[in-house]
Amino acid sequence: MNPRQYTIKVRTYPAPSRRQRVGQAAACLLAAATLASLDASGAATGPSIRLFPTTVLEDIRQTGHVAKEMETNLQDIIGRLDRQQQLYRESKCEGAESDPGCARIAKQLGATYLEMLNVMEAQLPEMERAVNNTYASLEKRLRQELGQKMTPWTLQETLLGNGQGTPDVTRPSLRGHSGMRLSDRFRQYYRLVSHPGSNSNHSLAVIASDIYLDMQEASGLIARTREEISRATLMEQLNQSFGLITPEMQEVVAGVKSILFGEATAGAPIAGPPPVSQEPGDYSPLKL
Amino acid sequence: MNRLIRSARPWWRQALLLSALTLAACSGLDTRQDACPMPQGHDLEAAFETARAGMQNGCETRFDDYLSHLLTIAEGDPQPENRRRFSEFLVWASDEGLLSRRQAKSLYNRYFNVKFVSMMGDYDNCSSTCPNKTTLLSRLEQELADKELGLLRISADKEAYYRADHLFKETELVLEATCSACAAGR
Repeated sequence: MNPRQYTIKVRTYPAPSRRQRVGQAAACLLAAATLASLDASGAATGPSIRLFPTTVLEDIRQTGHVAKEMETNLQDIIGRLDRQQQLYRESKCEGAESDPGCARIAKQLGATYLEMLNVMEAQLPEMERAVNNTYASLEKRLRQELGQKMTPWTLQETLLGNGQGTPDVTRPSLRGHSGMRLSDRFRQYYRLVSHPGSNSNHSLAVIASDIYLDMQEASGLIARTREEISRATLMEQLNQSFGLITPEMQEVVAGVKSILFGEATAGAPIAGPPPVSQEPGDYSPLKL
Repeated sequence: MNRLIRSARPWWRQALLLSALTLAACSGLDTRQDACPMPQGHDLEAAFETARAGMQNGCETRFDDYLSHLLTIAEGDPQPENRRRFSEFLVWASDEGLLSRRQAKSLYNRYFNVKFVSMMGDYDNCSSTCPNKTTLLSRLEQELADKELGLLRISADKEAYYRADHLFKETELVLEATCSACAAGR
């Protein structure tokens, strides 16, 4: 196939952003998978505000269980895709698509890609239910604990922590400020809650908010992906008759791969401020 | 001036009289302003003395101007000690009855504390904070700018300003989640 035909073929694909949703959905699901290993006792240790009661943890565990299964299945497929893509590159097939050997490799690549979409399609409904349950239970806790039991002032004091002087360096990076992938963020949550004693009300409030907003986003993304996936599958099936490796396909695979193996560079966590010393001018009878 | 007014026609007389009165009023205002000299120079201690003296001599209504000048002068020599100086000045202003204790606290904490006075409130977040979230966040942003002046540029306390900035971001995040949860429960 000459380059012009190739370009025309690419244009018949859905918009890249739509295709990327498949990868993004995988990101959400895999992020949720890391929740599976959240230590329930760690997360539940000692907060006087009950943001992570057993019910919420149970929902998280269930979500993680479903996602973990999906992660395992996808990991195998991704490994195969990686090998096939390497073979394609090493065989110098780029620009030689009309070569019968290259066409065969491209077709195999497409079939594996299709397999990945199928795994996602099969497990998305259950995943969606689990994510929605976690989202709903966290929503209830946030409303009760931070919304109805706290004034803005007590919320501020909770966030600041006792004494104001010991910033928590283990606090996760903030959503929307870090540019970090979901899975990386959840890995941070894990580190935070899996060390008994390192978590406190203020970090828990931030974590709960972070997970809640992520789940809200994931829930919407899964719903949109489910709508999109059948269309993507159809396009790939059509593609099979031409044996193409499209840039979109490579992009989705690369995205999923980076999530699974953590290849992409994560946003640097926000550094904790240096220890605070009590300055001579710090005292005031007016201080709140 | 009197001869001019007397020689003018009656309707002109009135106009001239009115102008003369207005000019007199303006010159009176100038005199009052001159009577309330604002602190000048770079010596903060001397500036506080000038401000105190001015307010004890009938210029108490110019409190905001004095404070603004003092903050500007303090910015020229940032040091942790400045925080205490402003605290003492505000306590003095409160003792003198120029400010209520509440106003003094509010001003001090607005500039020199990590906590945001804009977050004061007696009612729960779902019913009071969330319906005014945008306004509150805008106030917090303004207060953060004042903390930048007070904590960073006047008190040279980077750590405290960093915490205030971090607190602002966390509050933004937690309010987004909490208010979304509150809205879903309605």
